[in-house]
Amino acid sequence: MISHQSEAIVLRTWPFQEADLLVSLFTRDLGRVRGIAKSALRSRRRFGGTLEPMTWVRATYAEKPRQELVRIDQFELLASPLAQPMDYLRAAALAFYAEVLDNVLPDHDPQDAIFRLTLTVVEQTRAGTCWLPVTYFSLWMPRLLGWLPALDRCTACAAPLEEAAYFHSGSDGLFCVEHRVPNSSLLTRESLALAQNVERAPLSTFADGPWPRQRAQDLRRFTMRILERHLERRLNAAAVLSQLGG
Amino acid sequence: MSRFAEPLSRLIDELSKLPGIGRKSAQRLAFHLLRTQEEDAVALAEAIRELKAHLCLCSICNNVTELDPCAFCTNPTRNQRIICVVEEPSNIASIEKTKRYAGVYHVLHGVLSPLHSIGPEQLRMQGLLDRARAGMVDEIILATNPTTEGEATAMYLANQLREFSARITRIATGIPAGADIEYADEITLAHAMEGRHAME
Repeated sequence: MISHQSEAIVLRTWPFQEADLLVSLFTRDLGRVRGIAKSALRSRRRFGGTLEPMTWVRATYAEKPRQELVRIDQFELLASPLAQPMDYLRAAALAFYAEVLDNVLPDHDPQDAIFRLTLTVVEQTRAGTCWLPVTYFSLWMPRLLGWLPALDRCTACAAPLEEAAYFHSGSDGLFCVEHRVPNSSLLTRESLALAQNVERAPLSTFADGPWPRQRAQDLRRFTMRILERHLERRLNAAAVLSQLGG
Repeated sequence: MSRFAEPLSRLIDELSKLPGIGRKSAQRLAFHLLRTQEEDAVALAEAIRELKAHLCLCSICNNVTELDPCAFCTNPTRNQRIICVVEEPSNIASIEKTKRYAGVYHVLHGVLSPLHSIGPEQLRMQGLLDRARAGMVDEIILATNPTTEGEATAMYLANQLREFSARITRIATGIPAGADIEYADEITLAHAMEGRHAME
């Protein structure tokens, strides 16, 4: 049995047998692992509030040879989303991060850049200021996974995209006005410029100005479609964010 | 082909659908029922049938009840102007065990859960809003679990109820009785400190 201790982010939990919880965990050292938290459903004594999604913990767990699930021994709390007020929008944003990460991360494959991105956006996701971190995360995730198309030129003709661009859920990439697919959606010049800036600057750079839900709404729609297209499934939390105006 | 006779196999299939019951436990239960007295087996089947046939949701509070309105909503000794909002009907039994609450209830039958596509439309909130709008309520106690989803639900409800005259309160969270502060996590301890009260 190999024992590990690593920083980790709790992604999701499911009831497992009578009293246990199956936990999906994004560890810094080993990437995503899944394990069993014994008796966590019946008693909160050992794990307390650390099993809530998007909680940052120092996890101690043991891997058994030829077994997919690890045994989770202990979580030491480093930061909890419950330390801040939780409104519906913030809950939806945190659920969006958890759902994306749980679906895109391969097992046992460390992804330090994604880990750092997640810590940054979770820290910035507070009641009333969710749209900036959601936008930042939904653009950077496809980029870090290699799914983000070029944002500065048309996918069809490679002409520079200086004005607005167009995107369509059935096609990859951005298109100029001449090569846009019928029924495609508009990505405004402001959102295009913002996307190009987001690629170059840290999240804190954008935190000064106001972020009403209308800002970069089209950009979020574009990046969420990229994620859903590559995952080949609808993201429940993305649908909730859309309903809430994102 | 099944290893068991068809009725036994069917019972195992049905039992293994129950929460916390795996295939092996279902087999054990099915064989226990096979060995048991016939009247005991019939009594169990009858109890399950009656559960579905005679129980309904209270039209006022959504509690599971045999008579509509339920015993809480029709009880004249309970304060009908204080409503405690809970996630599930089973939460009512937990609160009743405290013997410290004599108001009535409202059951949401779930919490907001973006991961499971459960939004405000899927919860039974409308009855609560109607009761608050009618001005028949002095206080609404939000007693959802102190989890991410429970907190989000409580805050959503608080925002919806703010326009009415009722006082909106949230149950306290903190150190469980008999616990040791040394072993409490930071969030629980922080909530306990925030929710401290004066000693009279």
